[in-house]
Amino acid sequence: MGRARDERVHQHRQETVSRGLALCLLAFLLTGCNGGTVDRHALERDAEKVGSLATEGELLANDVSKGASTKNFARVHAQELSRAASNFADALAKRPTSPGIEARVRRLSKLAGKVSDELEQLHRHPTDRDVAASLQQPLSEDADAADQLSK
Amino acid sequence: MKIFQIALGILAAIGGFVDIGDLVFNVSAGATFGYQLLWVVVIGVIGIITYSEMCGRVAAISGKAVFDAVRERLGFKTGLMALIAAQVVNLMTLTAEIGGVAICLQLLSGLPYRWLILIAGAALAVVVWVTSFDWIERVFGYGGLCLLVFAVAAVKLHPVWGAVGHGFVPHVDTKSPLLYAYFAIGLLGAAMTPYEVYFYSSGGIEERWGPKDLGLNKANAMIGYGLGGFLSFALMIVGGSLFLDKGIEPEFLGSITIGAEVPLGQIGLLLALVGILFAVGGAAIDTLFSGAYALAQFLGWEWGRYRHPRGAPRFTVTWLVLLVIALGLVMTGVDPVQLTEYAVIFSAVALPLTYIPILLVANDRSYMREYTNGTLANVLGLIYLVVILVISLTAIPLMILTNVGQN
Repeated sequence: MGRARDERVHQHRQETVSRGLALCLLAFLLTGCNGGTVDRHALERDAEKVGSLATEGELLANDVSKGASTKNFARVHAQELSRAASNFADALAKRPTSPGIEARVRRLSKLAGKVSDELEQLHRHPTDRDVAASLQQPLSEDADAADQLSK
Repeated sequence: MKIFQIALGILAAIGGFVDIGDLVFNVSAGATFGYQLLWVVVIGVIGIITYSEMCGRVAAISGKAVFDAVRERLGFKTGLMALIAAQVVNLMTLTAEIGGVAICLQLLSGLPYRWLILIAGAALAVVVWVTSFDWIERVFGYGGLCLLVFAVAAVKLHPVWGAVGHGFVPHVDTKSPLLYAYFAIGLLGAAMTPYEVYFYSSGGIEERWGPKDLGLNKANAMIGYGLGGFLSFALMIVGGSLFLDKGIEPEFLGSITIGAEVPLGQIGLLLALVGILFAVGGAAIDTLFSGAYALAQFLGWEWGRYRHPRGAPRFTVTWLVLLVIALGLVMTGVDPVQLTEYAVIFSAVALPLTYIPILLVANDRSYMREYTNGTLANVLGLIYLVVILVISLTAIPLMILTNVGQN
């Protein structure tokens, strides 16, 4: 009797530990996910990220326009930033949104697409100082627009 | 040449403190909290100096490296757990570092990333196979010193020095205390990451340290890790001065180098890229050797780069296999920066299994004779054991609660 009860207790403990581990794993996996519904908090975070990409692109464009960067660095890094912005544009266009913020989410998606296109131009013309100079103002405005959407 | 004799400490520190994850982590900490977390780096530097000096002394006096001590002091089962944890974290870090080398080469050359992964892997294999341990230390350790360009960049960005000074005083002044705690734990975990001491203690044996080298051991630990800490300060100040006000969240290796490009132009950019290439390449070699050292020491195999590859065949096969697995993993397209951030947090969990045996052996007269720990080493060692326990218990919950530092 006692042995059977001990086994049940042992089994119960094992199940509890297994469930706990499964929950931890689930929580861990969820931290890495970029999907789900876009709520106000997610909108704020994504707008900050898009603004960050635009501002970094502006810094890079400024350096290229002054001849302070190198061709390979400008080409590769502009493409990295462009891809990141493009990923935001795609994700924000598709993901469901909380009620009341849909228009802002779609606006942010379009803005991210615009940032991506501008950075793509820098990627294609990494040594063209005029192109780089012409991109600074739009990227700066994009960063301001993203900042507005994050509030 | 005395200057060459501290290469081990410099390589261990540059590979450990400013690898791909730490570069991004330090600059991100600055970009998020300004100079507020500088004090955490100081605590991390004192901790790693304390334990590196200890395990270097153990290596010099007893001829035993860290995993010899782990096996003897923790027993087979617990030791095996420590070994598995160490190997998983080492492999994650090695994968990330190889990816980092390829990214750096891409930013320098513009060639396709996947080809550069293969080139990076082949170059590492050739370097490790044909180059002596001394020259690996010197080339990667001193090449990594190009990162000092970030110290110049930090000054040229004209930070508010009063605020920088205030950053060295422990304080919490933020609306996001959990995120602050996540960065603090991450910075401490990165400073005391276990592979640094595996590499450092085994390196002492590679260099055949004996009792006469105890001064050299102290110099290596203090100068090497002090330099690593100095570079961490510089990176955080660059993050705080350039990125914080502009709202930039640096998430790419290229973003870090913009921190040197903006104040210093092309020369700053190139020095930063070359420095990162050597630092990340050095970290790849640190982790590659650390994985092979840990397994060989735990299983009692012949080991050491000072031997001909045929003189330690299982050690040689181990690092070759680790390199091939890491290359396979990085070819899957995993993001090296994210991977190494996970590695830093997971390594924090394994910290006690590495540092407790070091403290025990450093106090054992049968190994250490008259060279056991003094009062200062024991007081610091015990204080840091508490710090390590706190880090290991809080690292993963904080990672989940802050969505890996994103919220």
